[in-house]
Amino acid sequence: MVKSFLKRFLNRRDFINASAVAGAGLLLNSCKSGTTPGATAAKPSSQNMLHVALIGYGEEGKVLLESMLNIPDIKVVALCDIWEYHRGEGLRYLSKLGNEVRGYENYEELLAKEKDLQAVVIATPDFTHAPMTNACLKAGLDVYCEKMMSNTIEGARSMVQTMRSTGKLLQIGHQRRSNPRYLFTRNRLLGEAKFCGRLTAAQGQWNRAVKEDFGWPKKYEMPQALLTQYGYKDMHQFRNWRWYKGLGGGPLSDLGAHQIDIFNWWMGTPSSVMASGGLDYYKNHDWYDNAMVIYEYPLATGMARAFYQVQTTTSAGGGYYETFSGDDGTIKMSEDPSVCAIYREARATGVSWDDLTEKGYVHLKQPTTDAVKVDVRETAQLAEYDIPVFFNKPPHQPHLENFFSAVRGTGKLNCPADEAFTSEYVIHKANEAIAAKKKIDITPEEVKA
Amino acid sequence: MAEVHTFRHHAMATYFEVRVVHEERGYAAQLAQAAFDLVDGLESQLSRFRTNSEVARMASLGPGETMRLSEPVYACLEIADRMERATGGAFSATPVAVRVQLARWTLLRQESAIRCDGGVLQMDLGAIGKGFALDRVAELLRTWDCGAFLVVAGGSSIVAGEPPPGAAGWTCGVGEGEARRELGLTRAALSGSGLAVKGNHIVDPRTGQAALRQERAWAVADSGAESDALSTSCIVLGDAEIEEVLVKEASWGVFLEGGEGVRMLGRRLPPVA
Repeated sequence: MVKSFLKRFLNRRDFINASAVAGAGLLLNSCKSGTTPGATAAKPSSQNMLHVALIGYGEEGKVLLESMLNIPDIKVVALCDIWEYHRGEGLRYLSKLGNEVRGYENYEELLAKEKDLQAVVIATPDFTHAPMTNACLKAGLDVYCEKMMSNTIEGARSMVQTMRSTGKLLQIGHQRRSNPRYLFTRNRLLGEAKFCGRLTAAQGQWNRAVKEDFGWPKKYEMPQALLTQYGYKDMHQFRNWRWYKGLGGGPLSDLGAHQIDIFNWWMGTPSSVMASGGLDYYKNHDWYDNAMVIYEYPLATGMARAFYQVQTTTSAGGGYYETFSGDDGTIKMSEDPSVCAIYREARATGVSWDDLTEKGYVHLKQPTTDAVKVDVRETAQLAEYDIPVFFNKPPHQPHLENFFSAVRGTGKLNCPADEAFTSEYVIHKANEAIAAKKKIDITPEEVKA
Repeated sequence: MAEVHTFRHHAMATYFEVRVVHEERGYAAQLAQAAFDLVDGLESQLSRFRTNSEVARMASLGPGETMRLSEPVYACLEIADRMERATGGAFSATPVAVRVQLARWTLLRQESAIRCDGGVLQMDLGAIGKGFALDRVAELLRTWDCGAFLVVAGGSSIVAGEPPPGAAGWTCGVGEGEARRELGLTRAALSGSGLAVKGNHIVDPRTGQAALRQERAWAVADSGAESDALSTSCIVLGDAEIEEVLVKEASWGVFLEGGEGVRMLGRRLPPVA
């Protein structure tokens, strides 16, 4: 048993190296950064060092910081959070790693005092994104801003306009757009090999079980004056801003934004949206706690419809993923590689598994039977294939790397604000469709910032 | 009036339970949610079954390659490394599947990183991860000024804070039938290991052979990570070897199930409840 496990494991490592010479070689080479000595531990070299400020050290800020710490020649020099509890935690953590950074409560003070910054990473509540991003861009800094871009379409549009007027970079944190597995699947399987045939349907979901609202240690409660100053009614609203209108966009923008962005990235702009949802379970929130949305995508090959659901009262249905289905096959994608799968319709004859395997576009899962024995037993299952991309990094790291390479002038943003605006727009429209209880048409012109 | 509030959550292929003393159930519920979020986060970093976890990603390191680790993963491996040395290899973060490949690794404190020195770093922190998670939960509870608590992982790992109102400690049972003892646990961790539930699942990392001890073993220590690692190692150590381990550390104690009831080894004796 141990032997077979090791055999499977070693096959995986061997496979990564072997596949670098196959058709997928170039892309896969860029995915295996963890396989060269020292590559995953950031080693600074002062000549090429970028000085970065992190604004917002909540849950998302922590995730982004962990990824930034893995990237060579990135130095976080300032950290800003209005909550002393989080700010102190971040400063202590970085100090423990030997990185003494300056802490700020207010981002405007940070911009006024930090004169040797090249870029800012923003991970604060949605309603603060537009003013912060616009100020940072105008201060001459390149910005990585978490999604959603803003809690309003106007706010998001202003960010695109500022990006254009300043000429600075603005990457939006739809990190799947830099995920090697997503890139490979979109470019090779869906685009080049036309694995799905004519795309007819997509489906996505993110379901979560019931959770208590976020609380806080009483001794770290922010003074009311400070909460008011920064736009919060009280501490509960500050900790649970995603649920409140005027601050966030509810589960459709918190969770749905990731998958709806993939719909748009892979299928273009929808021509309409209809949706249903409601605030049916939780009593003390503003935003819908469940939503079901249908977009229509007029593809060159014909209409495709995409269904999306987000539930915050059940984890049923396999967590979070997106599927793209056509008359030849289906691709199931997720940030969790164990969920990803590809299925081929029996009628599909255009491209054979052997051709795809030969090109390195799919990988035959290794049978686990003993090679020297042939037992007669139950009917064998069909061969299974998977997507041959393994990358040894946290999910957000490639997107940050893409941003920093663009800052250095050695790369192009994978999710610039003007492209992200399309997703932003249709997500806001889904919330609007729920409120209006009607189908809303979307024109190609209106999704442009 | 302060009461004991109990909350449960599924994580790390078992259940986690938080029992916390507080006047407000709402505050206790939000604290428990924060604790469970913390456990979920640790599982996503420590589980070898999560394809993209730090522990799973370590397995792709080749000899000489390094990988930066997040603070909790580094801290957990540091304890694992210390416990491996303290138990003479009876506990290991890289048990038999890797031992046959001579997995060797070094923690690099300056870089907060791990370096693969040889073999395949197929870490398995299952014998320490739950206790480590409980230690982190205990820290969180204290930050929220809830010092009186008992946190449990799967019924096999327990970390106790201050006792509940009117009690000298949290009552925790070890053993069964007439041999059963009830301990009053305060500011301590208790872990149990045995073969009764999961069968012969523990291997001796020193030999790669299945554990020989058929009876249960419990360990008491200051932290859940230590008591977890110690109780697991007791399943593969003989009595004399356990005595040798315990001589080095006064804060550790061990209970062994046997024909004559539960025997106590070491200098740490939790009070009987």
